[in-house]
Amino acid sequence: MADAVIVVALLAVAVAATAAVVNRDPARQALVLAVLGTALAVLFTVLQAPDVGLSQLAVGSALTPLLIMLSVRKVRRRSAHGKDGTQ
Amino acid sequence: MNGWIPAATVVLAGGLGTTLWGVSTGGLGRRVIAQNLSTALVCPGLLLLAQGYGRTSYVDLALLLALLGPVGTLVFARLLADDLAEENPAGWGPTWAAVTVGVVVVLVLCAVTGPGRAMVKLLIVGALLIGGNLLASRALSGGFPGVGRG
Repeated sequence: MADAVIVVALLAVAVAATAAVVNRDPARQALVLAVLGTALAVLFTVLQAPDVGLSQLAVGSALTPLLIMLSVRKVRRRSAHGKDGTQ
Repeated sequence: MNGWIPAATVVLAGGLGTTLWGVSTGGLGRRVIAQNLSTALVCPGLLLLAQGYGRTSYVDLALLLALLGPVGTLVFARLLADDLAEENPAGWGPTWAAVTVGVVVVLVLCAVTGPGRAMVKLLIVGALLIGGNLLASRALSGGFPGVGRG
């Protein structure tokens, strides 16, 4: 019965990782990736590694989405700017 | 074997299941709301796990999640402001449901813990969770006009 929570966490990580691959828009992928980071932190916690879970929470729930979204914004802005330049 | 681990399993399965379904289907506004709710539903699960394993240091995980989860949602609200401006996703129903789960879990754990430092920590986690969640929901629904048009 105590293994049920491990199974739940493993399933959540597998589904979230698959969803992150299946989605094709980078902004939506970043959203799924944030949830994947939270699910990974839960998995580490139920496997009795809360220190790894702490760093995973810090990196996965705020830092990785921030970096991805900043990159997406910069690329979009540059492509819009390039389009204006050619016209 | 105690009842806390099965309770945490139910909360985590329900929370992660619904948020994964919400975040991987539908429009952009719905996905952002689901990402916001993942924080609000996983944090009570982590608190229940800490109680179930009998290790109070595990509460630090819930504390960090309650602090950083809304920050992550605010990142999306700020950087997706142009896309979200047309939708103005509200999602107050699911938000209040998640807040209710958080309040119930924190109150039950406070009653079990009894007065002391651990209870103060639990109350801080609950206040951060609910305040951050409501703030992020309000930011998503366009409650702060003039912000995010950079």
